[in-house]
Amino acid sequence: MSKKVKKRLITILLSVLVLLIATLLITINLRDNIIYFYSPSELQETTINKRNIIRVGGLVKEGSYKYNDKTKIYSFVITDNSNEVNVSFVGIIPNLFAENKGVVVEGLAIDKVNFTALKVLAKHDENYMPPEVIEALKQEGQWQEE
Amino acid sequence: MTIGNFGNLLMLICLLASFTQLLYLLPKKIDIDYRVLSRAPFFASLLAFTLLIYIFVSSDFNYQLVVNNSHSEKPLIYKIAGAWGNHEGSLLLWILVLTIFNFIFSYSKIKHVDFKKNVMAFQSLMIFGFTLFLLFTSNPFLETEITVNEGLGLNPVLQDLLLAIHPPILYVGYVGYSLVLSFAVGGMISNKVDREWAEWLHPWVLIAWIFLTLGIGLGSFWAYYELGWGGYWFWDPVENASLMPWLAGTALFHCVIILKKKNILQSWTILLSILTFSLSLIGTFLVRSGILNSVHTFASDPARGLFILIFLAIILIISFTLYAFRGPALDNKNEMNLVSKESGILANNWLLLSTLFVVFLGTLYPLGTDLFLQKSISVGPKYYILSLLPITILLLLAMIVGPSAKWQNDKILNIILSINKLFILSLAIIFGFSIYFAELQLTQITLLTLCLTLIFISIKNGLRVNQDYTIIKSSLGQSLAHIGFGLLILSVVGNATFAQEKIFQAKVNDTLILDDHVFKFNSVEQTEGKNFNAITATFYLMDNKTILDTFEPEIRVYSNPPTVTSETSIIRKFLADIYVVMNIPENSDFVNVRIHIKPLISFIWLSVILMVVGGISAIVFRVKLTR
Repeated sequence: MSKKVKKRLITILLSVLVLLIATLLITINLRDNIIYFYSPSELQETTINKRNIIRVGGLVKEGSYKYNDKTKIYSFVITDNSNEVNVSFVGIIPNLFAENKGVVVEGLAIDKVNFTALKVLAKHDENYMPPEVIEALKQEGQWQEE
Repeated sequence: MTIGNFGNLLMLICLLASFTQLLYLLPKKIDIDYRVLSRAPFFASLLAFTLLIYIFVSSDFNYQLVVNNSHSEKPLIYKIAGAWGNHEGSLLLWILVLTIFNFIFSYSKIKHVDFKKNVMAFQSLMIFGFTLFLLFTSNPFLETEITVNEGLGLNPVLQDLLLAIHPPILYVGYVGYSLVLSFAVGGMISNKVDREWAEWLHPWVLIAWIFLTLGIGLGSFWAYYELGWGGYWFWDPVENASLMPWLAGTALFHCVIILKKKNILQSWTILLSILTFSLSLIGTFLVRSGILNSVHTFASDPARGLFILIFLAIILIISFTLYAFRGPALDNKNEMNLVSKESGILANNWLLLSTLFVVFLGTLYPLGTDLFLQKSISVGPKYYILSLLPITILLLLAMIVGPSAKWQNDKILNIILSINKLFILSLAIIFGFSIYFAELQLTQITLLTLCLTLIFISIKNGLRVNQDYTIIKSSLGQSLAHIGFGLLILSVVGNATFAQEKIFQAKVNDTLILDDHVFKFNSVEQTEGKNFNAITATFYLMDNKTILDTFEPEIRVYSNPPTVTSETSIIRKFLADIYVVMNIPENSDFVNVRIHIKPLISFIWLSVILMVVGGISAIVFRVKLTR
């Protein structure tokens, strides 16, 4: 093997090694930072990991939205009309949050029916329904086309 | 003839005229004046676009697009902006920009007529493809089947002056790279990928980059004050879609500089040209077709998504087939030395592409799981931050070392000698800051020191130090843009480290305290705007008894379409922004107020301006090839 070929071979091997390590690190990092979305029904069938941030979405159940003046905790129930999840939240509830409307919350599940939200996501349009919520309702056969 | 029919006729002219331009590709060249032919699609689409704006301004509800996206009571400027604030209109704008580039290029002083015709032929192929797309799947001049008297309105969040001009600017950036791809294809067909080719390409690749940079900056600026979340970048798929071509385009123009200077990396530059425009295509249309927000909207109109994929496939097949035959032969056998400016630029290329890979994976992975596993997921910002942190450190290092190295060959010792003083100075400043003001962690110290070194080095490289401190015109652009990048990372890190945020539940006359700022909640009033009702609150920033600043955040209730938005109130100070946003929960007697102290935000915008000005001066003062 000539010197030049050897040099080139080492360069290529080194680059491949670096590339592999980088890809591995990035993929592991990606896996650790994925936020899964669950409907209330899907949450029932999932093993809860209390340390993983997840999203839960559905409709805000009518009459369930409450605010505790002393603890400053908001609470409401997310339903897909088959199963329900109780959500508690401290912070700012978005303008468009309302009962019977779609909502997605991000936070930690305490168990299969209780959830501590860190963020409440509601989008800009009153008629807007998060696509995940539509899908969740469709799966439970609760979605009505307008 | 109705306006709509006339518009359709114009687009048909555009289609046919661009098709005839493909004749340049025939082996036996037909002698037609290429300038004349490039005019027809340009004037046709310009007139069609004007007609579209006209039907929006006159609120002509005979047209489906106007009904869906406009309202007679909307302010004039948003009626105009409504013309391109939707899929069909923006596609017409995209075609218009394609033809503008072709039109201007037809006047360029390139003597190589064969190459020039090939570039224009490929550009015309794209115009042809998109016009076909417009006419068959997304006709903006579609008339309504029933009589409609009023439109549905434009989403109020989009009723913003900045957002009205943001898409056209972003589009000039995206579409600018179409001409770059045409250069690559034309160059391969005419076997003309050399220093001269790079010189011709140089201004175009920079123009696209400048507009893309400005477009991304404006988008970020808009998100910062309009969305009311207090952030300026959310790693949202829509934002990532514009960042990806930017990263590839940045790598690309650095390569063009090496090619122009050293006549190496021909095939690599061609590959990057193909990659950049492909990412522009993926970016724009995946956003426009709604696939990124949800795979389900994609399914609801598969024709659009499918067309884009087919079009992308055609472009990739043509480019790569050409590349397979011509690519390897393009490369000059010039060897590159490890310690040289060109290898520094190549290192920067790999780092930019690594960044691109991280962003690409994070953006498209959720799409993949949704499509193939029917599982909705999202990728948290922590993924980007952790993955990009080591890459950013290396990138900063490469930007410090690279420009300080000489072309061709240099000695490591020389480079170290030329940067060590400024590095030590920066380290001392950051350490001093950490000791006297606020304690910093190791990663923050590393990042901030490198940013500061980069800024100092770039200033030094732009000024003729030791002589007369005059500006070296040829490196002014590089200096400014690199200072901008250093400042950007510096501000981003500083902002992330020192930002403060607090949420209050407040009633009138309450005092709100965040750090050493004292706010007084003065009043809440109902006000009326042009097309909305608003609840406006007044907060004073107090210093004992004197009022320093007044904040008036609003909640706006629009009726067309029915939407509630929170308008932020921001006061910009030199070192930090104070950012106040509020909302009122249903059935409550208090308002929710969120107050942010956001340090160095102004410097983020300044850094974008520096990069843009850097790009402009790189065009103006570009070095001519010596012949």
